[in-house]
Amino acid sequence: MTASNEILSLRNLTVDFGGVRAVNDVSLSLQRGEMVALIGPNGAGKTTIFNLITSAVQPTAGEILLNGKSILRKSPDQICRLGISRTFQNIRLFPQMTAYENVELGLHSTPHYSLAEAFVRTPRARQIENDTRKKALELLEMVNLQEYAHARAASLPYGLQRRLEIARAMATSPQLLLLDEPAAGMNEDECNELIELIRKIHQQMQYTIIIIEHHMAVVMELCRDSRIYVLNLGSLLAVGSPQEIQNNPDVIRAYLGERKNARDFSAS
Amino acid sequence: MGYINAIIILAGINIIAALGVAILTGYTGLFSIGHAGFMALGGYFSAILVKEFGVHFVPALLAGGLFAGLTSFIIGYPAFRSRLRGDYFAIATLGFSEAIRLILNNTREIGFIKTGAAFGYMNIPGHTNLWVVIGAVVLAIYFAHMFVTSQYGKNCIAIGQDEVAAQMMGVDLLKTKLLALFISAFYAGVAGGLLGFYFAYLSPSFFTITKSSDLLAAVVFGGIQSLIGPVVTAFILIAVPEVLRALAEWRLIIYGFLFVVVMIYRPQGLFGYVEMNLHFARAWWQRLRRPVAER
Repeated sequence: MTASNEILSLRNLTVDFGGVRAVNDVSLSLQRGEMVALIGPNGAGKTTIFNLITSAVQPTAGEILLNGKSILRKSPDQICRLGISRTFQNIRLFPQMTAYENVELGLHSTPHYSLAEAFVRTPRARQIENDTRKKALELLEMVNLQEYAHARAASLPYGLQRRLEIARAMATSPQLLLLDEPAAGMNEDECNELIELIRKIHQQMQYTIIIIEHHMAVVMELCRDSRIYVLNLGSLLAVGSPQEIQNNPDVIRAYLGERKNARDFSAS
Repeated sequence: MGYINAIIILAGINIIAALGVAILTGYTGLFSIGHAGFMALGGYFSAILVKEFGVHFVPALLAGGLFAGLTSFIIGYPAFRSRLRGDYFAIATLGFSEAIRLILNNTREIGFIKTGAAFGYMNIPGHTNLWVVIGAVVLAIYFAHMFVTSQYGKNCIAIGQDEVAAQMMGVDLLKTKLLALFISAFYAGVAGGLLGFYFAYLSPSFFTITKSSDLLAAVVFGGIQSLIGPVVTAFILIAVPEVLRALAEWRLIIYGFLFVVVMIYRPQGLFGYVEMNLHFARAWWQRLRRPVAER
């Protein structure tokens, strides 16, 4: 693996919230096209790491490099334009917009025509709007939401809202996609559908993906050929393949206290 | 006839200013109780251009709007940089507009221009008539509609619904909010200009917090994320008090009561989220044509 293939690198990231060290000296490196998972008990600092990468939170110490360049102290919208997009643990769709408008927003958050063209809506502007519309519908189709295109986002069932968030995140044409608990609150069938969906977009769009997830079945399945990072109390506890993680005594202790049977863990 | 004319003209001017507030408050979610200040700035500026420099009143109106829009950056830039939101931004706009009013109240002259302090700026040419106002209202509605349905306008709506998510999706908050504020102040400035050319004089006492809160009321009452709502209520809020002159002293009490009722039963406003477009008209028409039993 050459260094030029590295898309994201976190170097010794530390962040303090008042007296609490939420993230402690975390380093992580991602190659282009990889899909890795970030797991850990509640409060381990997983979402904080996403917030650091998207610049919603600034680190106390450490460095974040995207394609070899520091992205510290950029605003979240600049980060988005640099090619990092995310979903949220507690869904943050635009509730009063339709599913279609939610996706469309990601496509035109930097408008593609001038303000003057907006006021008179020139043929060029209308053409651009048509192209945007087509692209938004394609993305909705990709996550199987085409029949809900004109439903209000807030009125969609929970599982579909999660998928809509993924489509909206894809609309900003990211290189790096951060999925924060996409399977939260889903049953087994829905989880399987989601696994298929994530795998499909990973392959078709060639995204690099980091996924935070508590459903171990989902994590183990999605990362079976790659790595899992385990976070506990803000520090990296272990890195490794699903097998290694399942058999790692530290990880088992962090999750289950002192119980020893790894098989219980993998089934949870 | 003259009386009805007067009501329509004043209501039209109120509609234009309310459209400005609708873009800022109804769509972008930034509450302003200071639009009277922008009306004052635009009003005085365009009146001075016409009276002192002999500019034609149409370019003067636009220049007044532009002037109000540019001055809005004085309050907008620091407020948005420091992420003032909600009540805090509203208070900032209130402070700004009161400052404008008090400055005008204490300024007898700017150079050779006698702005007349609290007595008012007199002898402005009377260019505003019914047709000018109707034309201005039609254009104002048309351009407001064009804006809010454009990619720029949709970014404003996204900020109004979830600022954090909008920024994470790549919307430049500072630029987009400043744009919404600029357009909104432009509308208020043009409305202020029309007001001056109608009354033939301008007084700082036109532009008190009552004026600002009337405009905000039109938007909140008329409906969030709607243009037709503020247009209808801005008209009603001017016309109804005229019709019910006898109840003038009860006006604020009735307002307060209506607000409580609207907030309880329709928190999104009368026309909240209703866009002014043909789909809406068509749906209504079809609903009307259906037999009552099916509705």
